[in-house]
Amino acid sequence: MPKHYRPAGKKKEGNAARYITRSQAVKYLQVSLSVFRRLCIFKGVFPRDPKKKVKGNHHTYYHMKDILFLKHEPLLDKFREMRAYEKKVKKAVSKKNKDLAERLLTRKPTYTLDMLIRERYPKFIDALRDLDDCLTMVHLFAALPAIERENIQAERIHNCRGLSLEWQAYISRTHKLRKAFISVKGIYYQAEVEGQKVTWLTPHALQQVMPQDVDYKIMLTFLEFYETLLGFVNLRLYHSIKLKYPPILDPRLKALAADLYALTRYADAKDRAIGANDEESELRLAQLQDQLPANEPGALMHLVENVADDNEDDEETIACKTLFQNKTFFLGREVPRESLLFVITAFGGVVSWEGDGAPFDESNQDINYQIVDRPTQSHRFISRDYVQPQWVFDCINARIILPTEEYMVGKVLPPHLSPFVDNEAEGYVPEYGETIKRLQAAARKEILPMPGGEHDDLENSQNLLAEGINDRTKAKAAAEKKQEMALHEKQYHQELKEELEGMQYTPDPNIDDDVKSNVEENTDDVSPEQLVKDDENMAMLSMSRKQRGLYEAIKISQQRKRANVETLERRKKNIQKNKKTSD
Amino acid sequence: MKSLLVTLNTRVLKVLLFLTMIMRYDSIFSEGNDDRNSDSELDSGSGSEDEDGEHPSNEAGLSDGVDNFDQGDQSASEDSREVVDESDSSEDEVGPRNTIGDVPLKWYEDEEHIGYDVAGKKIKKKERLDKLDSFLARTDDANSWRKIMDDIEDEEVELTKEETKLIRRMLKGKAPHADFDPHAPYVDWFAWDGAKHPLSNAPEPKRRFIPSKWESKKVVKYIRAIRKGLIKFDKPKEEPRFYNLWGDETEESRHGLSYIPAPKAKLPGHDESYNPSLEYIPTQEEISAYQLMFEEDRPKFIPKRFTSLRSVPAYEKSVRETFDRCLDLYLCPRARKKRINIDPESLKPKLPSRKDLKPYPTTCYLEYKGHKGPVVSICTDPVGQHIASGSHDGTVRIWEVETGRCIKVWELGEPVQHVAWNPLPEFPILAVSMGQDVLVLNTGLEKEENKMIADLLRVETTPAPDDSESAGSSVSWSQYDKYEGIRIKHFKTVSSVEWHRKGDYFSTVMPADILLILQLCSRSRACLTILIHLLSKKLTQRLPFKLHGLPVCSTFHPTRSIFFVSTKKNVRVYDLVKKKFIKKLDAGVREISSVSIHPGGDNVIVGSKDGKLCWFDMDLSSKPYKILKSHPKDITNVAFHRNYPLFASSSDDCTAYVFHGMVYSDLNQNPLIVPLEILHGHTSVNGRGVLDCKFHPRQPWLFTAGADAVIKLFCH
Repeated sequence: MPKHYRPAGKKKEGNAARYITRSQAVKYLQVSLSVFRRLCIFKGVFPRDPKKKVKGNHHTYYHMKDILFLKHEPLLDKFREMRAYEKKVKKAVSKKNKDLAERLLTRKPTYTLDMLIRERYPKFIDALRDLDDCLTMVHLFAALPAIERENIQAERIHNCRGLSLEWQAYISRTHKLRKAFISVKGIYYQAEVEGQKVTWLTPHALQQVMPQDVDYKIMLTFLEFYETLLGFVNLRLYHSIKLKYPPILDPRLKALAADLYALTRYADAKDRAIGANDEESELRLAQLQDQLPANEPGALMHLVENVADDNEDDEETIACKTLFQNKTFFLGREVPRESLLFVITAFGGVVSWEGDGAPFDESNQDINYQIVDRPTQSHRFISRDYVQPQWVFDCINARIILPTEEYMVGKVLPPHLSPFVDNEAEGYVPEYGETIKRLQAAARKEILPMPGGEHDDLENSQNLLAEGINDRTKAKAAAEKKQEMALHEKQYHQELKEELEGMQYTPDPNIDDDVKSNVEENTDDVSPEQLVKDDENMAMLSMSRKQRGLYEAIKISQQRKRANVETLERRKKNIQKNKKTSD
Repeated sequence: MKSLLVTLNTRVLKVLLFLTMIMRYDSIFSEGNDDRNSDSELDSGSGSEDEDGEHPSNEAGLSDGVDNFDQGDQSASEDSREVVDESDSSEDEVGPRNTIGDVPLKWYEDEEHIGYDVAGKKIKKKERLDKLDSFLARTDDANSWRKIMDDIEDEEVELTKEETKLIRRMLKGKAPHADFDPHAPYVDWFAWDGAKHPLSNAPEPKRRFIPSKWESKKVVKYIRAIRKGLIKFDKPKEEPRFYNLWGDETEESRHGLSYIPAPKAKLPGHDESYNPSLEYIPTQEEISAYQLMFEEDRPKFIPKRFTSLRSVPAYEKSVRETFDRCLDLYLCPRARKKRINIDPESLKPKLPSRKDLKPYPTTCYLEYKGHKGPVVSICTDPVGQHIASGSHDGTVRIWEVETGRCIKVWELGEPVQHVAWNPLPEFPILAVSMGQDVLVLNTGLEKEENKMIADLLRVETTPAPDDSESAGSSVSWSQYDKYEGIRIKHFKTVSSVEWHRKGDYFSTVMPADILLILQLCSRSRACLTILIHLLSKKLTQRLPFKLHGLPVCSTFHPTRSIFFVSTKKNVRVYDLVKKKFIKKLDAGVREISSVSIHPGGDNVIVGSKDGKLCWFDMDLSSKPYKILKSHPKDITNVAFHRNYPLFASSSDDCTAYVFHGMVYSDLNQNPLIVPLEILHGHTSVNGRGVLDCKFHPRQPWLFTAGADAVIKLFCH
């Protein structure tokens, strides 16, 4: 029999054997589609694109090895068992066999996803790498209402909230937060944990819109996995800073919905009581701290300082830690408390808020900044600045304490810029971005130890900053000028040389590359643009077809980028023009 | 039983009776409502006798029960009165007022009275409240639920707490009194001591003495289960939900196929800020312009500005977007794609610097003006002092190259197709194709009158018939009258004329239409569309091969006796000495327009009408070694330089490209092709640009002939 002949129904080869459509896979595993979906989600199995789609373009293809991987999953048996169990219960209930039904209900088969997490993320760093979606989802569900109809239970919401706060507490405790950004979609945070950049989005703390056409079952399946994953990750992280997990929180603070504060307190208390292992004493300590003298918030600050940690921190962590050091904040009633509490403590500040369970109240004399978000502030303490919440976020993204003038209560805020954009790569720097850059440069230039109380000298320091800016800009301009001159000179020399060479070459109008264009302009009407285009064309000629395609694609994307920048610049010009005419 | 009943007081019994009656009436009522109605109608008609007859039948079961009960009840009550005479219950002493006994109350329905008291006096019926009043009274009175109407006594009775409790207990089927214990220890009244005989004489069975087999089996089963750990006595200890999963850092790799991590979600830009810079917010016109776009192109997110953080609403799509992300994670096929983040300039191949490849033509140095129509063809003389040009205005001109002076003009009267200069410098004669004729003209550029040329260009007056049998019918040689030269008349329009390197033979191509070819080819195997003429003998012969397809042009090999014929699809190579077909060069382009042979003879370039230029290395393959997609429009002509490693292509897009094409003598080294220069200058006329290009035979100069009636000389 020839080798290529394969009788019907025999083994296949190539793409036909290696890839299997989804419906085939479901049939192969003998499960329902929903169970298959759950399995895929838990195991992290995703479709793959075969080179040749044997069954047609509209199918989803899985790799056969992936499907075999699912086939040998113990969870698959567990799902089958659960299905059988559900049938048993249903049968007992329908036959009015109450005893049996009750007995069965006590023996519900359960499963855990622990080993799956180990399998998908063999190393802890792998888990951290994949944590973005997990955190976003858990934070979202922490803000959702429990809906019985969609099977979103209250316990899960609470669990999500707990997990997210534990994560935030760890991040703020270890000062690992790097960037934060208030967007329309929510607040983005970026932390750096073990060298991995973890970014997540928390929705604004408001009533969320629950669309009807969303399959919450799928989301809940994902959530199930993510909850387990985040639990294990949190445990690992808490153990790395020698804290017990799950944390035991002060019930009073918890009742006041100041969970995050309770968690930070837990962490601090643990530091205090190194050696005291039993939970009782921890709890007592946490409660004791409540009774610390209210007029001395520095006491809390001292607790936060941990000498042991300092050695291990890298430069950036230290920079983050010291940004708000020795600064005391007070949050107004109307600002998003949880977010600011998280952010400010992550950057070394001390926070209190208006409400129950706050460590100190508004009349405290040590408060440097009061964060308010209202049109006007009636009663003001002279010793503090009243700023809007955006100031905090802009400060931490710029890593300097920005001047507060523009962020005062009732002022029109300067634009809030995304810290995730590389302005240089994008090719467009917003005006305020430039301002911040200048301020940063100024701050770097003079690492002045601010004399005395920093608050009184704020004005002074700003003047210094401005001077610094002037100096720098002047120097820069001068340098540029010099460079330009040098360039001109060089060009001139070059031209001279070329002319000389041209003379001795041939009596014909022999021309070197650079000068050629001029002569050509004289003789023919070939514009320099045409020449540039010609050069490009000629380069394209010698490329292979594949490379040419790639080249063109890159060019197109560059063009698009440029078009975007041009739109922005045009709009900016229009705005400025309008401003001028209105003035 | 009696002792029980004794303790009940009569009122309770009455209440019970009343309750049972209500219940039964209700049930009957619901069952036979219609019957009763019809009965009552009958009643009114038939009178009282029927009533008597009807009553027992209607309520037989009920009245029986009630009667029995009542009798018992009354007797019991009497008993109780007798037995418990000293009882402190004051109500019992009062006794029933009505003495009618156990008669249906129905009998008194229409009467004024309800019965008779002990003295035999009528007891008057009391005034009944109407329904509304009674309802109001009930609602006012908190104790109304305790009150029951005693129909016989015609009075309202209020039950005490104890009585209600009693009723409840009875309704539940328990003993009426709370202190009655139904499970009191059994008191054996039988005096066993005196009995001499056992009750049963059966012997004690064996099973009472030996331990149970099944029990022991069960015990063994339990023991085993306990030993195996299947049965646990104390509750399992609460395991902590989470533990250090990555505790042992063994280098364990992931199972299964390679894991492709999902791409991370896009990070927000400046425009997603709640308070973006003003220039990020699109104007109203721009937003309305988005509606005109395709849905895919439309921006998903339109930036918005909020003046303060407190005014930012919840994002309505947050759940939706997370859901979409979930779908992406488990439904989207993933593949590893190399993301190339490179400078596009680095993609360009490293070519030798153009400076090193000098000299090559770069600038227009001279223009030869004089023609009045598009210059179709040009040709340089073998020395390079003159060029000849043929134009559609019907003239052939000869120019001096270095001065641009027009030396000679021939008015031929018909559009010229092609001009070709004899390659021998001592015979300055020119072949011109024009319509159906090919003219061989003496240029007269030789200083002294050359006898040989005159001889060469003289044809015997006797025309063709002496010629070979086939060609004679189609081609006729004759003397050209107007100028000094020969005229060779063909049967079809001649498109091109090419000289053999020795200057004696020349070939003509007639791109005849396909029908004619078929017709001709059917007659003979030979190809009629390409003819080879021998000038010295004034002979014409056919190409002795069969040609597939329409010929476009033909060329002689520069050193050997090899002949190239290009059809629209491919180039066919023939050996003229051996009369053999050598090979076919397959260009794979739409339509070939021109061919040129490298002076070495092993490389061929082919220009096509889709703007592609193919370089064939004949030693390498019959497929192109390199295809250069250079021109956006048709290539009209391609040319190799005779000495310099240069070649050029001219096109209808008014440009001519100059390339460096170095062929190495080392067979292992591939030819080096470098694009050098794009020559502009011609203008487009009727959609045609540069029609011909030729190199100067000695200098690296290029002549181009344009449709704008200008010939240009590009020098280095």
